Amino acid sequence: MKKLSLLVAALGFFAAAAHAESATYAIEPSHSFATFEIGHFGTSTNRGRFNKTTGTVTLDKAAKTGALDVTVDTTSLDTGTAAFTKHISSDEILNVAAFPTAHLVANKFVFSADGKVTEIAGNLTLLGKTNPVVLKAQNYNCYQSPMIKREVCGGDFDTTIVRSQYGVSYGLNYGFPDSMHLVIQVEAVKQ
Amino acid sequence: MKPSSNKLRRAVHRTALAAFCASAGLAPALAQSVPGPVTYQLDPNHTFVTFEVLHFGTSTLRGRLGPVTGEVTIDRAARSGDLRLRIPMATLNTGLRVLDARLKQPDLLATTEYPEAYFVATRFQFDAAGGVKEVRGEFTLRGVGEPLSLVARSFACRHDDMLRKEVCGGDFEADLKRGRFGATFGEPFVSDDVHLVIQVEGIAP
Repeated sequence: MKKLSLLVAALGFFAAAAHAESATYAIEPSHSFATFEIGHFGTSTNRGRFNKTTGTVTLDKAAKTGALDVTVDTTSLDTGTAAFTKHISSDEILNVAAFPTAHLVANKFVFSADGKVTEIAGNLTLLGKTNPVVLKAQNYNCYQSPMIKREVCGGDFDTTIVRSQYGVSYGLNYGFPDSMHLVIQVEAVKQ
Repeated sequence: MKPSSNKLRRAVHRTALAAFCASAGLAPALAQSVPGPVTYQLDPNHTFVTFEVLHFGTSTLRGRLGPVTGEVTIDRAARSGDLRLRIPMATLNTGLRVLDARLKQPDLLATTEYPEAYFVATRFQFDAAGGVKEVRGEFTLRGVGEPLSLVARSFACRHDDMLRKEVCGGDFEADLKRGRFGATFGEPFVSDDVHLVIQVEGIAP
């Protein structure tokens, strides 16, 4: 019994030590953008970028756990072509008037042996519909910013979503693809 | 971008292309075969250059330029081509106005002195099916010309039902070192290596 209580105490100590490593990072909107890529009649790729992303990330590097809560302002869509931006924003596609945000919540972070985040699994809510997504890291790093004198962590993530799962079926019958690629740049500042 | 990302992109493109071709009943590479040279005007709604540069070894900063204007002449029988395009630098858009303004300064893109970038190319490579595989030419940025190779990640032609014309285009990628053009500010925190991702479609007469 004494051994068990010692073990419990030791576990408690390590859990507390690991907990002490947990830190909150605020998404830095000037280096955080989500871009979608979707095929155009089998010829080229159309792109659109959402210009406003906010949220927080919690990272515990010692325990190799993390969580994030990110909101993308869908009214900030920017494709470079006003008519295309307007059409995608309309109720035929993203219906941003009724659904002005997309929301990503994730608490399953996968880390590599050397402590880099390699994958984040969570749920994406778009047009009020929620589906699981897995974001794969193409780059991940933390650095000490010489400008703001704080630690910044971030990377490049991507995933492919099936838009009809979110109720976006426009153009499927003319050959516009159902799957679309999301490319995400993100940096977050330690609080 | 790492190779895994490119692989994923290519896979996405292949899937999209296969889905489109299956639905439209077309051969994948060329919707129709035209003898002799055809000059395509670049479609401003579907012709953009996105640059990608690694920020503090951490995340990729992107900016869009365009619509890009110009024309491309392709002679499929002779397997030759001629591409001339102009990139209006004032269209630079990163999604962040302060960054756009910073990038336009003399130590970066110097857009007041050099309001346009150019790409002129006459060395075209075609694949077995007649699709454009690679375009090599000279890229001029900040008044400095350097060789540049655009490699196709996808290329196809189609008959566009709305325009009632043939449209050819694809996705191309290129890599350059910005320092060679004199745009050195922020190195090495912001990489010297710049990756270009190019969407292009051209409309036949």
